[in-house]
Amino acid sequence: MRVMVAGDTGWQKWKWVLFFIVPSLAGLLIFILIPILTSVWLSFQDWNLLSPPEFIGLANFQELVNDASFWQALQYTLGYILLYLPAAFVLGLGLALLLNQKLRGVVIVRTATFLPVVASWVVVSLIWKWIFNPQYGLINYGLSLLGISGPAWLFDANTALYALVITSVWKDLGYVAVLYLGGLQSISPIYYEASQIDGASAWQRLWFITLPLLTPTMFFIVIILLINSFQVFDQFWLMPMRDSAADRQVEAIVTAVVKNAFSYNRMGYASAMSMVLFALIFIVTFVQLRLQNRWVHYESE
Amino acid sequence: MLRKFFLIGMILLLALTMSTALAQDTTLRYFTFSADPDHLEDLDQIVAAFEEANPGITVEVEHAPFADYFTLLQADVVSGDAPDVFELNYENFVTYAANDTLLDISSYVSADAPYYPRALEAFQYEGAQMALPESFSTVLLFYNADLFDQAGLDYPTDEWTWDDAMTAAQAIRALGSDTWGIFSPVQFWEFYKKAAQNGECQFFNEDMTESTINSEACVQTLDTMMSFINEDVMPSTEELSGVGDSDLFLSGKLGMYVSGIWMFSAFADAPFNWDVQIEPMINQHAHHFFANGVAVSSTTENPEAAAAWAQFLTSSETAASVRLASNWELPALDEPSYFESYLSQTPPANRTAVFQALESPVVPPVIERQAEMQDGVNALITQVADGTLTSQDALDQAKDLIDSLIQ
Amino acid sequence: MRVSSTRTLPQVETEGTQQRHAERRFLRLLAYATMIALVLIMILPFGWMLSTSLKTQQYILRTPPELIPNPLSFESYTQLAERIDMGRTFFNSVFVAVVGTAGQLLVSSMAAYAFARMRWRGRNAIFLLYLATMMVPSVVLVLPQFIIIRLFGWANTYQALIVPGLFNAFGTFLLRQSFLSLPRDFEEAAFIDGANHFTIFWRIILPLSLPALATLTILSFMGSWNAYLWPLFVARNQAVQTLPVALGVLQAGPRALTEWNLVMAGAGISVLPILIVYLFAQKWFVQSVVSNGLKG
Repeated sequence: MRVMVAGDTGWQKWKWVLFFIVPSLAGLLIFILIPILTSVWLSFQDWNLLSPPEFIGLANFQELVNDASFWQALQYTLGYILLYLPAAFVLGLGLALLLNQKLRGVVIVRTATFLPVVASWVVVSLIWKWIFNPQYGLINYGLSLLGISGPAWLFDANTALYALVITSVWKDLGYVAVLYLGGLQSISPIYYEASQIDGASAWQRLWFITLPLLTPTMFFIVIILLINSFQVFDQFWLMPMRDSAADRQVEAIVTAVVKNAFSYNRMGYASAMSMVLFALIFIVTFVQLRLQNRWVHYESE
Repeated sequence: MLRKFFLIGMILLLALTMSTALAQDTTLRYFTFSADPDHLEDLDQIVAAFEEANPGITVEVEHAPFADYFTLLQADVVSGDAPDVFELNYENFVTYAANDTLLDISSYVSADAPYYPRALEAFQYEGAQMALPESFSTVLLFYNADLFDQAGLDYPTDEWTWDDAMTAAQAIRALGSDTWGIFSPVQFWEFYKKAAQNGECQFFNEDMTESTINSEACVQTLDTMMSFINEDVMPSTEELSGVGDSDLFLSGKLGMYVSGIWMFSAFADAPFNWDVQIEPMINQHAHHFFANGVAVSSTTENPEAAAAWAQFLTSSETAASVRLASNWELPALDEPSYFESYLSQTPPANRTAVFQALESPVVPPVIERQAEMQDGVNALITQVADGTLTSQDALDQAKDLIDSLIQ
Repeated sequence: MRVSSTRTLPQVETEGTQQRHAERRFLRLLAYATMIALVLIMILPFGWMLSTSLKTQQYILRTPPELIPNPLSFESYTQLAERIDMGRTFFNSVFVAVVGTAGQLLVSSMAAYAFARMRWRGRNAIFLLYLATMMVPSVVLVLPQFIIIRLFGWANTYQALIVPGLFNAFGTFLLRQSFLSLPRDFEEAAFIDGANHFTIFWRIILPLSLPALATLTILSFMGSWNAYLWPLFVARNQAVQTLPVALGVLQAGPRALTEWNLVMAGAGISVLPILIVYLFAQKWFVQSVVSNGLKG
């Protein structure tokens, strides 16, 4: 039975709840919620930023449904998520488990894997565009040594996605590992000590102790990766080679939003697109939240 | 314990209230992109000269790189805090003028200001002078003189047609498998210029209600542009494989290169002899006229001072000489004496070509939904360059696109 | 939860132990091999960035790209120092990142405590609201946020750079998950001893969550340090400008030539501080969860 404490109910409790939550909630309200509501309102307007907005009802959404380029962007975004997320999720865990060991030089490896995370996409995209260059790049050179003729990577609309995913996983691996490490380090060593007494192998320790206790972190990472990858932007904006088929076709939803908002001056349309994206992410996340009871194990509950 | 917490909270609060807020003043705010990043000091020189001649007025310069400039400008306009004076390029000028963000400065401009008439016209909207031309640049034919010598060819003249260029390109291409004859990109900006060189290809009909971009003349123009790729004297996008076209020229492997005069300083140290010439013609000459203008905000509180600054910046002798001395674009002024120092710099030797090009200027076709048209038509044209669409198909689709944008 | 034993059992060499030793050696070898491969994969691409920063302008454009700069030149770094007021810009970035990170840690941990360790009506709904705010692309929020900042009169101030970032729901989410994974036993004992919520928060929950706090420190610092779009809007004045914006001026427009050696030099410089922060913060990952034991 949970211990009851004086002041745990009624106004006393609420005093504490408010104390803890108001700074965050107030700021969220002013700086994030109000702008979001503005964006919602804008999705029903036609606004070119220089003249006052004009109410047009659902016209933006109707246009969106018929917009082939939007559906294409959605397709590419989903394709990106399906390839990127499992890779980042699993490889990140592997890396974190490695970095969690007391091995010599592990600090160097930790820092090295974090370097791509810290670098800006501008620089990373430049470097990897050369690595993926069909004629001069490292990857096709390596493939040619194996007798394989490498694809056109960032020129071709089909293979560009793979190049983007590979670069993204390379860049984000250290980030995902850092998130895992936070969780790994929170697991009390008591469990491991006890298992050693019982003579458990490394694999058993991993499967029966580490993973179950890591599930809150894993849940967190899945949600974050989902939310982030639906909103993928920089690599899609920077990497496809200019004036190539990839440049014309490969788009993510947020690049379409940015183009419409800042290049085409169609703020209302861009807002409507963001609303649709939001709805997508919300539904997917909500499903995950519901599912968490099936696999996530919280110590405190 | 709680005290420690509040202490930290107080420190944070204190840190937050530290600010370096600008003093509120009634001076002029000028927003620019062209001065960024190399010419901020040059701009300061011009500002200092203006302030000396106009005591009581201070000019505060704000600047941003071109890529972000218009987003920031729009944000300022939206939040009701537009700069008093700001730069615009020609493509964006129409949008801003059409949305009442610019002040009509016709009455403030002195009649004897030495602007190029065509340049002045470019920045008029519905008969009123809405901005002043600040600078212009154009695109010329660059050529590698050493390669021409190697192939035993005469240098391009100002009477060349694109057939002459093709002959020369083929001769240079024959010099080696990694040497290319010419590069004149197949994309939107080159297309509308070549259309003007053709003379019969128009983007729109007379009253701008329909696009005529898929006319026979236009298809011919596009085919002429494509002929260089098809005859293998010009590399396609895949053949270039990520090497920048200017890089190709700098590496000495390109005979002729259609590029802008802003590349003069970039090519100054090239390890070969090069020069420029006006572009070959199809049926007539036509050259890009890229112009930047300076406008006064319609919400400014100091219209007279703002207009005076705009005029000084764009047409005073001080401003002109500072610009030319530092290679900071060319003032759009009809004063040959100003340009003497510019013309005597080399390379290239044939700098008069720049002014020759001015005699056949062509401005981009502009509609309200400019960026969408540019992106859309460019995407179609580059597909022709890649070989995935025929010229006719691409231009038919372009017509449909443009029609949907102008209704 | 089991209480740790204070006795240690004598080591007995059994066949099982030998097998475990062999297993451990194999895993060790695998680990070292992977580590070396990882370091190479992660760092090598940056070798090209470094080499570009050490080239002079005209040699950058040689294609195919050469890895070793010839001639080697530090002029990009000196030119960078001339173009940009590195001292001021660096200070601004550091100041904003440090204050912003501290603020975010405080605000987020408090909210996370309310979500993870307290039961109240509407808790799950409000948490869902927090999550929802992360699902709207930040690009569309920039303009309304900018107008709000202008309304407060905060244009070109440190507040504008720091304050909005304090309320990012990510930090709250991260810490909530971490707090949820802590067992209740300590709190219950503390409550019995008459402690209030704040004491528990400050003395028990936070110390036990150092790894997660370390993670948030790194990520928050990095987010603030690398931020470009927002500072571009609200901090244009030289006095408050941050590093990414200052370096952004090196990216020339469509009718000019970008000086890539300077861009790369700038990128290299901006990467260093975060790495340093990471080096310090990751020590906290090694901090094992010290069992305070149960009193009494």
